[in-house]
Amino acid sequence: MNISRLAWRNIIYNPFNTILSILLMTFGVGVISLLLLLNNQIDKQLQDNLRGIDMVIGAKGSPLQLILSSIYHIDNPTGNISYKEVKKLTKNSMVDLTIPLSYGDSYNGFRIVGTTQEYIDLYDADLSEGVLWDKSMQVVIGSAVADITNLSIGDMFCGTHGFGDDGHVHDHHHYEVVGILKQSNTTIDKLIITDTKSVWDVHNTHDHHTCEDHDHHDHHHADENHNEDIYNSEKFMITSMLVRFKNPVAFIQMPRKVNETTNLQAAMPVLEINRLTNLLGFGVQTINLIALIIIIVSGLSIFFSLYNSLKNRRYELALIRVHGATKLQLIKLVFLEGLTISTLGTIFGLITSRLILFSTSFMVNQQQMLNSIEYKLITDEFWLFSISLFIGLIASLIPAIITSKINIPKVLSNA
Amino acid sequence: MLKTESIIFTYDGLSKFNFPDIQLNNADSLLVLGDSGVGKTTFIQILAGLLKPKSGQIHLDSVNYNELSSKEMDQFRGSRIGMIFQNPHFVRNLNILDNLLLSLYLSKNIQDENRVAQLLNELGLGNKLDSMPDDLSQGEQQRASIALSVIKQPDLILADEPTSSLDDVNCQRIIKLLKEQAEKNKSKLIIITHDNRIKTQFNKSITL
Repeated sequence: MNISRLAWRNIIYNPFNTILSILLMTFGVGVISLLLLLNNQIDKQLQDNLRGIDMVIGAKGSPLQLILSSIYHIDNPTGNISYKEVKKLTKNSMVDLTIPLSYGDSYNGFRIVGTTQEYIDLYDADLSEGVLWDKSMQVVIGSAVADITNLSIGDMFCGTHGFGDDGHVHDHHHYEVVGILKQSNTTIDKLIITDTKSVWDVHNTHDHHTCEDHDHHDHHHADENHNEDIYNSEKFMITSMLVRFKNPVAFIQMPRKVNETTNLQAAMPVLEINRLTNLLGFGVQTINLIALIIIIVSGLSIFFSLYNSLKNRRYELALIRVHGATKLQLIKLVFLEGLTISTLGTIFGLITSRLILFSTSFMVNQQQMLNSIEYKLITDEFWLFSISLFIGLIASLIPAIITSKINIPKVLSNA
Repeated sequence: MLKTESIIFTYDGLSKFNFPDIQLNNADSLLVLGDSGVGKTTFIQILAGLLKPKSGQIHLDSVNYNELSSKEMDQFRGSRIGMIFQNPHFVRNLNILDNLLLSLYLSKNIQDENRVAQLLNELGLGNKLDSMPDDLSQGEQQRASIALSVIKQPDLILADEPTSSLDDVNCQRIIKLLKEQAEKNKSKLIIITHDNRIKTQFNKSITL
């Protein structure tokens, strides 16, 4: 038997007071922790998918929309741009890398993106099966696409215009799955990736196959376009171009050049993402404030329950002193009771937020946004832990002082 | 040996108590009698070192109370003095065994469960080790509180009206047990009481 065990017995023998305090603490810490985790997750996803892309060129419109649609594939495209024109712009010694993107079609809700194989390299995506495309209408699918649509190597499918289920089906054109990518926990997991030319072919040619026509003979559609000239045609359109700079000076010069001298738009992902997180941040801060108030109320609840139980236990505390306990041991007893409750509440809160996140991600798996949740403690949560313990400490302070000043002879005489 | 010399105590300088000098050898017992309000409880709290007299000396064996700091007094009382009260009190959230172990812990003794069990047997509480204090009858509670104060084998046992709320049978039993335990541990025993039932059972008594 010692002071710590006595504190623990006191806690478990007053379950109702204890449970209320712990629940309040769990709730407050849980809400803040959940927001911190989500924020961290979203930040991480946003940053992870940037892949060093410094600028996106697309049709005029909302710059945020251009970034959301070209990098994260969660918004509609802003329009089409001429490949020739954008290629000319980016033929510049300050440019390190350009990747064209053509999108606007989907299959079962998954976006079909026409691009170059550099796009796959950009995300360090490895094939788990099959090969990369070597001609038009061959596709490589992300791991989530493979999981949910059950497409496998050699399967054929038709794209739908737009991102909904009710778009026009391009039933004259079959895509063929030639490769499946390993899971990378990036946007690419939920994309169907093909050559730029495939998208062009689907939208600019017609042949006589229909989607229901599942014969596996060689498809010769769009043969007339199989020459390099097509890329130089004014008609050859893409949706956007991802650009990486070689030289920091480009950050100032290139976007201005694009925005001022052409009818294209250049958007900087870093700026737009900051703008977005600032907007989200306001709401997060408000909820954080409310949750912090809940934690403080839980501190008050710890204070009242300690205060009450000590009032009822005055004789008991005097008795312990008579048996030889020092003032310091009584103070330790009170602090241990308060801190144990706040620590338990905090730990339960941190566990609860992870459980909620886990079950949520389970339910909305298709969104993929929550697929790679990290359950380990994040830095901000160490702060949260410290704050909760501090509140537990403050809540125990006054009861501890009262306890240490207990007038033993008086308490014993009045019993 | 317990020895007091000319102890004077005042509450806020208003009421003044002059206590008689007492001298008590090991295994001796003393009955302190007196009507309500004459300062019986004050006297016992002074002897326990819980109240500091205005003047006077108290020596328990080689220790002079006046030379101890309040922290040293706490520890001295914890290890050398056992107290029994009119209404027995325990740590309510601990069972009898743990209450006794806590008493051993606070008095810096070894927490020997066998010794605790043996003592409870002697006091007729051998089957109450795991009982919570509130589940015991009043007589059992008083016996358990004797256990609580003698488990650490104190030099001095101070009992404040230990029998006044007990029936005749339990009263006799408590006095018998207190005497036995004091003799066994060579403890000095002081009982404060106005209970006529026990006056005849002690040779030495003083009246305040």
